[in-house]
Amino acid sequence: MSTAAANPITTKLPSGVPQPPPELQRIPLVANGRSFGWISNQVAALTEGRTPVWWWICFVPSVLLLGLLGFTLSYQISTGVGVWGNMHPVMWAWDIVNFVWWIGIGHAGTLISAILFLLRQRWRTAVNRAAEAMTIFAVMCAGIYPAVHVGRVWYDWWLFPIPNSNSIWPQFRSPLMWDVFAVSTYFTVSVLFWYMGLIPDLAVLRDRAKTKLRQFLYGLFALGWTGSNRHWSNYEKAYLILAGLSTPLVLSVHSIVSLDFSVSQLPGWHTTIFPPYFVAGAVFSGFGMVLSLLIPLRSMFKLQDIITMRHIDVMCKVTLATGSIVGYAYAMEFFIAWYSGNPNERFHFLNRALGPYQWAWIMMVSCNVLVPQLFWFKKVRQNLVIVFIMSILVNVGMWFERFVIIVLSLHRDFIPSNWGYYRPTWVDICTYLGTFGLFFTMFFLFIRFLPMIAVSEVKGVTPQADPHHPAGGAKIEEPIPDEEE
Amino acid sequence: MKANVPDSKARQGMAANSPRGGAGSLSHGAGRQYWRSLDQLAETPEFRQWVEREFPAGASEWTDPVSRRHFVKIMSASFFLAGLGLAGSGCRRPVENIVPFTKMPENYVHGAPKYYATAMPTASGAVPLLVKSNDGRPTKIEGNAQHPDSNGGTDRFAQASILSLYDPDRAQRFTQAGNNASTEAAFDFLNGLGKSAQAKGGQGISFLLEPSESPSRRRLLKKLAEKLPQARFYAHQPVDLDIHRRAATLAFGQEVRPYWQFDKAKVIVSLDCDFLGSEDDAHNHIRRFAQGRRIEQPSDSLSRLYVVESLMSVTGFNSDHRLRLASSAVVHLVGALARAIVPQGGLSAKLEALGKPAGVEPRWIGECAKDLLANRGRSLVVAGYRQPMAVHLLAHAINAALGNVGQTVVFHSAPDGKEGGLPELAQALNAGQVETLVILGGNPVYTAPADLDWAQTQRKARNVVRLGYYEDETFAACADLANSWHFPLAHYLESWGDAQSSDGTLVAIQPLIAPLFGGITELELLARIAGETVSSSYEIVRQTFAGLAGGGEFESAWRKYLHDGFLANSAAKPAEVKLDEGAVAQGLTAKKDTINPSNDSLEVVFFRDYKVDDGRYNNNGWLQELPDPVTKVVWDNAVLMSRRTAQELGVKNLDKVEIHLGQRSVRGPVWVQPGMADHSLGLALGYGRKNPGRVGQGTGFNAYELRASEGANGQTIALGATVHAVGETYSLSCTQTHWSMEGRPIIREANLEEYRQHPRFAKEMSVQDAPVVAPLYPSPFDELKKHGLHQWGMSIDLNRCVGCSACMMACQSENNVPIVGKDQVRRGREMHWIRIDRYYAGRAKVSPDSPPAKEDFFETFQPEAEQQFQDWIDNPQVVTQPMLCQHCESAPCENVCPVNATSHDEEGLNVMTYNRCVGTRYCSNNCPYKVRRFNFFDFNKRPIGQFYLGPFGHRKADEWDLLKMVKNPDVTVRMRGVMEKCTYCIQRIEQAKIAQKAKARDSGDVIIPTDSFTTACAQACPAGAIVFGNLNAPESRVTQLKKLDRDYPVLEVLLTKPRTTYLARVRNPNTAMPDAEVTKAPLSLQEFEQKMGDPFEEEGHKAKGE
Repeated sequence: MSTAAANPITTKLPSGVPQPPPELQRIPLVANGRSFGWISNQVAALTEGRTPVWWWICFVPSVLLLGLLGFTLSYQISTGVGVWGNMHPVMWAWDIVNFVWWIGIGHAGTLISAILFLLRQRWRTAVNRAAEAMTIFAVMCAGIYPAVHVGRVWYDWWLFPIPNSNSIWPQFRSPLMWDVFAVSTYFTVSVLFWYMGLIPDLAVLRDRAKTKLRQFLYGLFALGWTGSNRHWSNYEKAYLILAGLSTPLVLSVHSIVSLDFSVSQLPGWHTTIFPPYFVAGAVFSGFGMVLSLLIPLRSMFKLQDIITMRHIDVMCKVTLATGSIVGYAYAMEFFIAWYSGNPNERFHFLNRALGPYQWAWIMMVSCNVLVPQLFWFKKVRQNLVIVFIMSILVNVGMWFERFVIIVLSLHRDFIPSNWGYYRPTWVDICTYLGTFGLFFTMFFLFIRFLPMIAVSEVKGVTPQADPHHPAGGAKIEEPIPDEEE
Repeated sequence: MKANVPDSKARQGMAANSPRGGAGSLSHGAGRQYWRSLDQLAETPEFRQWVEREFPAGASEWTDPVSRRHFVKIMSASFFLAGLGLAGSGCRRPVENIVPFTKMPENYVHGAPKYYATAMPTASGAVPLLVKSNDGRPTKIEGNAQHPDSNGGTDRFAQASILSLYDPDRAQRFTQAGNNASTEAAFDFLNGLGKSAQAKGGQGISFLLEPSESPSRRRLLKKLAEKLPQARFYAHQPVDLDIHRRAATLAFGQEVRPYWQFDKAKVIVSLDCDFLGSEDDAHNHIRRFAQGRRIEQPSDSLSRLYVVESLMSVTGFNSDHRLRLASSAVVHLVGALARAIVPQGGLSAKLEALGKPAGVEPRWIGECAKDLLANRGRSLVVAGYRQPMAVHLLAHAINAALGNVGQTVVFHSAPDGKEGGLPELAQALNAGQVETLVILGGNPVYTAPADLDWAQTQRKARNVVRLGYYEDETFAACADLANSWHFPLAHYLESWGDAQSSDGTLVAIQPLIAPLFGGITELELLARIAGETVSSSYEIVRQTFAGLAGGGEFESAWRKYLHDGFLANSAAKPAEVKLDEGAVAQGLTAKKDTINPSNDSLEVVFFRDYKVDDGRYNNNGWLQELPDPVTKVVWDNAVLMSRRTAQELGVKNLDKVEIHLGQRSVRGPVWVQPGMADHSLGLALGYGRKNPGRVGQGTGFNAYELRASEGANGQTIALGATVHAVGETYSLSCTQTHWSMEGRPIIREANLEEYRQHPRFAKEMSVQDAPVVAPLYPSPFDELKKHGLHQWGMSIDLNRCVGCSACMMACQSENNVPIVGKDQVRRGREMHWIRIDRYYAGRAKVSPDSPPAKEDFFETFQPEAEQQFQDWIDNPQVVTQPMLCQHCESAPCENVCPVNATSHDEEGLNVMTYNRCVGTRYCSNNCPYKVRRFNFFDFNKRPIGQFYLGPFGHRKADEWDLLKMVKNPDVTVRMRGVMEKCTYCIQRIEQAKIAQKAKARDSGDVIIPTDSFTTACAQACPAGAIVFGNLNAPESRVTQLKKLDRDYPVLEVLLTKPRTTYLARVRNPNTAMPDAEVTKAPLSLQEFEQKMGDPFEEEGHKAKGE
């Protein structure tokens, strides 16, 4: 859309209304001075009308991959963990790599919706809904791994503190135990938060529904929302509370996942830097994934006025910042390994860079540290193709980071007779592909049936939503003509 | 653990009543008659026809020898007989499944194991054993510590032989021309054969025997020779261990055999003699050698071992000076050594003719000779079975010159059986002189030298009668002959027999179970051919014993013999011998000139495999999966060669090569073996069998195919081989891929001098001082160690451990450790609870000015496959370390388990609750010793090769039934998805505690008597390197050992506080040797110094870790 970036500064005003004073002249978050009606129409239209062909083209392969996941998991559960490549000494491999990777991806959503909300970062409104959905689906993908990677899946419930006839409780000193709580809490709160935010928009869809079924279903989930002041007042308070609740969770879940490693005494795992480093990495990969998803979607759904280049720019900057933190953490690990004088620690980090898995380490460093440095350049941040490719590389890099941490630490540890070389099997690979099937199946269902932009929140950040704005409040009698209707 | 006095009446009865127990026993007893007739009925043509008509589908099952039906049929028949005939003696499987005890046997406690003394016959003796029997099935083999020449240690073969007993692929039927035959028909045939042979005076009958030290067999053979004066006897031994006897006989002019006493020797020189590994009776050598390497105080002395060898062997591991030299050049070396030692006399001219070994520093030989001369009467030179007669003769000459004869080596009378060799038999067969060939044991079609073409030669006999444990290659080669008979051989645990252990003591072989598949013994078969009236092996053995024991009251002597497992004071008296120089000189003349091997004329060394012996254990899964002590390869043999040889030939690890030797060739994968002599190829015998059974199928390649005959048996060293790559690769599974210890203080060693200067060197080698942190709360073990009743711990003396791996087999047997197959081992999923870590330490070049080991910084980080190209592996030192659960007091595995499946008990054990384990594998990740094993599949439930079929994988019924019988009922069989690891044999601890509590009653004396029991690994260790016991008993052996200054824990810096600690190794090199500068400290210690700094530096700023 050519007009989107034409003149972002000038707000379109009805005739006769003077331009606002310069102090109110900000780059609007919604480009082209789109009206409330336009926003509602544009977002709601995605869930109404005919299903686009491209949606089917994306959805069907996703479902097939989901079927593959079902097959590989049934095979693995019925036959044994041995169908994977896990071995002695690399007892955790792709299972935990992918678990941590998906959990990391699941970080951006809640960070955007909770922390940025508390920090009054109003640009978040355009992306938070999709990012939150992404979070939930990513955590679902992640949750599969710890559940099925154990040897005896049917006893998974022993990890939960459920009173039982044996009077045996879980072992609360184990970080795996903490994981169970951290991940399930995170998932629950994320779902609640996401659903809460959806309520006003579901009501919009309900009100626009043309069929009984849609009316009934959207009506059911809109929980009787009328948009009254009282509703809005309660809603805002609840939203703030949930944002407050989610904020520590964003930090805790990946910190606790990182404790799986740092509590152990394996060189490469046993390090205090892990919690902040993991959170930064998670945000990094989460933003990478948000970018990977939204860049195609905004053009598919013609949402360039809502998800503007400014959003992309901001997200690129967050990626640059977190990527640099990750890079700093890598450097710190090497420094501490040298500074500590611990020979096992030193060996481990040299082995990362020089050992048989050098290729994985190079992938990690180049994708996570070097690639994001391009975001220093505005031209790069403005080039959607480059940003898209880089966002994919960020996720590849973060996958390798987990691979490096988990597999490389395990494959050569204290006693050289234990050393080994891990290789994945086809089941490992297909299970991983299958989780993409789950993720995209859920995600395509989401964009087809739910508003992927938080309509009410986006409206709240338009200039006209500001009562003091010349075009704001009730001053507008006639709608601004939309150019592209 | 005392042997129970077996009910001798019951035992007589058992033998007599065994289902195949002899003609006498079959002829009386109503119950037996009934079953016998049914058996007969089943074999009549009418019945068979009827079966085929009635149940065409089921008819094959009736004849299928390995079907469950058949198994059950035979088992139930024997149970029933057992019940009727003896009212049970505890020697059989319990009968209650079929018919309840109508009369409970006396002293029978259901579930309580019983122990019986017996022995496993070997080629040159027997291993005295004490075998555990659970409800009538033997489950665990242990050495008989009461035997005068045993400490209760065993070797890996004895430990694993129990699995062979329950091998579903055993020969299970009598066959004529490959078809099932009834027992009666088979015995009728034997009796007929005996009669017709006697009628002809034995004309045309030949016997092919395996070596045996059984007095009963000797007696029977003598009788047979008397009755059949024209009969011919031949012996075949694929691995020619008999050369020791032949050489001694030749050298001393008497029929004698050497009996080495390594414990009395201060200086030992091994001439390609792997006396700690592949020589027979190795476990006794290990015991004696370890005795000589025992060191508790800096003032103690230590024996010194020089090894000259081409292959890297277990003996080479333990050498203080090792010279790698082509096997064919050893004769030159020993010639040079003899020149320096043997006084000038008749030999000198012959010795001069032997020349000098190429490429060996004369100083090496000179200093070695000096060391020997300085230790006259306290030194020992031994030659290995692979070496030609000349080397053996010179070894005897040197020993005689040094006055070692009668001191460190004694000679026992060993009468020559006067049997011919395989080539003579082949000649007779080809000449048509053999009408009936009786093959007793052995598998000549597989093991015979290739030039004899035994499969065809054997067919030239009109009748081939074979007694074999398997229906193997020899069976297959003549199964189609109309007159070939095959008799199933009974396992030694199913047989009555006798033998003489290597010291000459008479040991009893008594059965613990009736033959599972109706096998018969060699004694019985011989007795039948001889037409003896007494054909039951029990009676034969008793008669022999009566002849040998002499005097006294027979029954009580017999009972004591069976109880003890040996006849006291029956050891051989050392023979008075004198070297016959003339004979030695004569023997040297026979020595052909040799050429030095080169890369277009390589030397091939055929050697006895550490695991499958000559191929007889090829179908034994435990042995197949036991990592070779040297290569750590499982389930395969390989073409072993040195780095330089591989480089010159342009091949690398896993490349398949074809070896040409004369007209013959074989193909096998290359394995670059550190420490191998250049231009020498090591080929292990015993693999690549055609009909090994389901386990051994497809393992390795057959080196026999390359082997020509030489003397009585096959070649051991052949020259003139060429090798070329065939452009394929082959996958080998190896349990330890990394060779270097990387300078880490895991195995700590020092030279004797260093040890004397720094007695606490092991402790000083701690990489970092453990961090000084105040504990948050006191360790509960501090208190328990003061007041608890039992605190278990283990001490492993690395100076005694030679790396023989008997402990691994013992653990596998005791703890129901499953095998996982080659593919799973390649994926790193072997299940051994105890493993032997083997590290090489080396220098780039063995010269004083070469830089210390591993100078290349980047080498350490290379993939394991690169090690084979690095030059430091050329002449390494080797160290071994048994690694098992260390039972850390603050165990890292415990606090990470989310379900409390692994936890600590009050006696200091890190216990594992299998039922509680969900299998997160976190414990293994956090175990710094990586000793935990995970059941990636249902290794017990599914057969190897079907793991990936999941629920669709099923073991065959016969396999399943037998597999269950070998399990120790006191140890849980683990399912898939759970972690497992060494438990310090908790079942033994608990049994000992329960027994003591029962004994204590109200006295409150519930502390187990000190050192009254031990773990399976410690029990099996012939070196006595592993000691387990109560740390709270001040007088216990383990407490004493842990006080020694060589005691150290591995990875103590992690503050895991392991209960298993090690005693550091001490080497004893000769400072006058040419490599003294290199070996002034053990190479592993040099590596350590290079990386971590000098551990012995005075206090102050140590350069550790810088």
